Amino acid sequence: MDKTDILNYIRDSIVNLDFEKSKEFTKIALENKVDPQEIILKSIAEGMEIVGKKFEASEYFLSELIVAGEIGKEITQILQPYLKGAEVKKIGKVVIGTVSGDLHDIGKNIVSMMLEASEFEVVDLGADVPVESFLEAVKREKPQVVAMSALLTVTMVEMKNVIEALKKTGLRDRVKVIIGGAAVTEEFAKSIGADGYGANAVQGVRICKGWIT
Amino acid sequence: MRFKEVTLSPDTLIFGRAKYPLRYGHNLEVGKGQVIPEIKYFPRVDKDVKEEYGKITESILKRAVDLDIRSLQLETELTYLEMRTKDLPGDITQLQRHIIDRYAQEYGLNIGFRVTVADIRDLGRPKHDEDSYMKIMETFESVASNGADVLSIESEGGKELFNYAIIRQDILGVVASIGQLAALDMKKLWKDIVKIANNKHVIAGGDSACAFANTAMRLAGGKRDNVIAHSLAALVRVMSASRSLVAYEEGAVGPGKDCAYENVFIKAITGYPMSTEGKSAAVAHSSLVGNIIAATCDLWSNEQTENINLFGGCGPEVFLEILYYDTKIMNTALEMGKEKELKSLFVKSDKYVDPQAYVLAPEVAYEICKAIVGEEDFFSRTLTSAYETTSMLLNDDRLALAKNEIRFLEATRTRLEGLNKNPSKVQELLTSYEPKVTKLRIRDYFDV
Repeated sequence: MDKTDILNYIRDSIVNLDFEKSKEFTKIALENKVDPQEIILKSIAEGMEIVGKKFEASEYFLSELIVAGEIGKEITQILQPYLKGAEVKKIGKVVIGTVSGDLHDIGKNIVSMMLEASEFEVVDLGADVPVESFLEAVKREKPQVVAMSALLTVTMVEMKNVIEALKKTGLRDRVKVIIGGAAVTEEFAKSIGADGYGANAVQGVRICKGWIT
Repeated sequence: MRFKEVTLSPDTLIFGRAKYPLRYGHNLEVGKGQVIPEIKYFPRVDKDVKEEYGKITESILKRAVDLDIRSLQLETELTYLEMRTKDLPGDITQLQRHIIDRYAQEYGLNIGFRVTVADIRDLGRPKHDEDSYMKIMETFESVASNGADVLSIESEGGKELFNYAIIRQDILGVVASIGQLAALDMKKLWKDIVKIANNKHVIAGGDSACAFANTAMRLAGGKRDNVIAHSLAALVRVMSASRSLVAYEEGAVGPGKDCAYENVFIKAITGYPMSTEGKSAAVAHSSLVGNIIAATCDLWSNEQTENINLFGGCGPEVFLEILYYDTKIMNTALEMGKEKELKSLFVKSDKYVDPQAYVLAPEVAYEICKAIVGEEDFFSRTLTSAYETTSMLLNDDRLALAKNEIRFLEATRTRLEGLNKNPSKVQELLTSYEPKVTKLRIRDYFDV
């Protein structure tokens, strides 16, 4: 097995969503002194690109895109000690949470995982997050983006409360705010002064990327 | 009591008729030859909650009188926020009860009143958040004392693992969460709910796997959405039947909750009347099963409508009217002896649109039910019924599944074949998820 074969095997194991094989071939690559940066560029990046294209062609489900992202992340963690201090650079930081009174967080979790797969650092505050927790996280983490979700009409008003609190504490201008969730609409986002509205996870991540890059 | 047989055949599994009808509230008969509208509502967020519930109840019952609706059920589904305020659930129930009693006495309406308590537990806390569990039980006591006729819940035990598994299409995690964790939690929960219902002389109505199967349905979305396989959503619905059946094995008697689309299976197995929702619940849930789910209902619901002003009145009263006309057609078919024809139209119009609809067809559901009752324990029921469904979906060409759906089903069938039913292996499987799922505390499910 030469270097190209090993890199291709890692790439293919990502495309085939095979956690075990991806780890196995990564270890073989390291034993064979393959440059970790090359694994990142030739195996992980190419593998993710193929999976992304398969998703766009409706061959793969979004859930499979998420799993591929997790495999890529796991390989990167295995490579970390061999990167000679060169951290894998994150493109930006997002504080994300489902607002107070709302426990429906599965959509938020998908966005959170897809942001991570897209090389964002994500600070996930969980579900039923009070206004104060958003404020504290913005002060502490200094993110570029605050993302909020709500499923219910009764709880989506909390998003407005968070934005108002960000304004009152002088933090609003430091962050972009994006919102999403079943009850939320673009009009609602505009009416409460959010910067963006994600109708789905893919769109939400695309908007965040657009703000950063 | 464990159900070992399927009570209703594909032929006798039909709307408006249950093997064991119920009578409660103000002379409301459910499952005894007619379908009853079950109206659900949601207060406006910027208004006083209690006042809103009063206005909603008045407007619904006034519309019932205006249209000469003789029989109906109201369902109040308490929210997480309402549960947080001490005494509010009991106060809301009492207020609505008074209005219901007044209309029943003045106009002779047959009315039932269901109250659904919210599952407010944080399952990641020690002993699965014992304090919140007690609060749930206290709320059941309170609403039962203050006038509820039927008690229900959409319990969420097992959801922490399910949420992890569903967005990764991890079928083993899905089976383990529904087939073991959710079922064990249901057993504990429903033993206590049935005890309260018996003490208070009210009906233990049943549970919905909303947190599982409707989450999957929502993720699957429309025909062009590509988040998870629609076949997976269909399998989750099937697996949810074994989980929701536990309530009835602990003593619930129906009518099962509207958003439990798995009630098709539950009705077939138990013979108890069930509530379902479909096309007229599009206001809350979009689905690909809007007609087929009507084929077996005893109560017909709108799922949830906010009390907003529309041209035709406030949301809930408008939806009562919609439900009423839906049920009138079904009831006229029953009176004319044309129910089988109407049932056939409901089924045929949806059956091959999507795997989620296919599994709800009475003839398909019957085969799935046989797989469920043929097994001894929760996990085996869940696993076997999912496996059989996988084969049925793959073998019926009329479904015209997309390539990615076939790929998913074939991979799933292989994974299910390799799954060991041995309890120690199941425990091993569950334990393997603990390091990956933040809030998962397996031991708490078994320490019952």
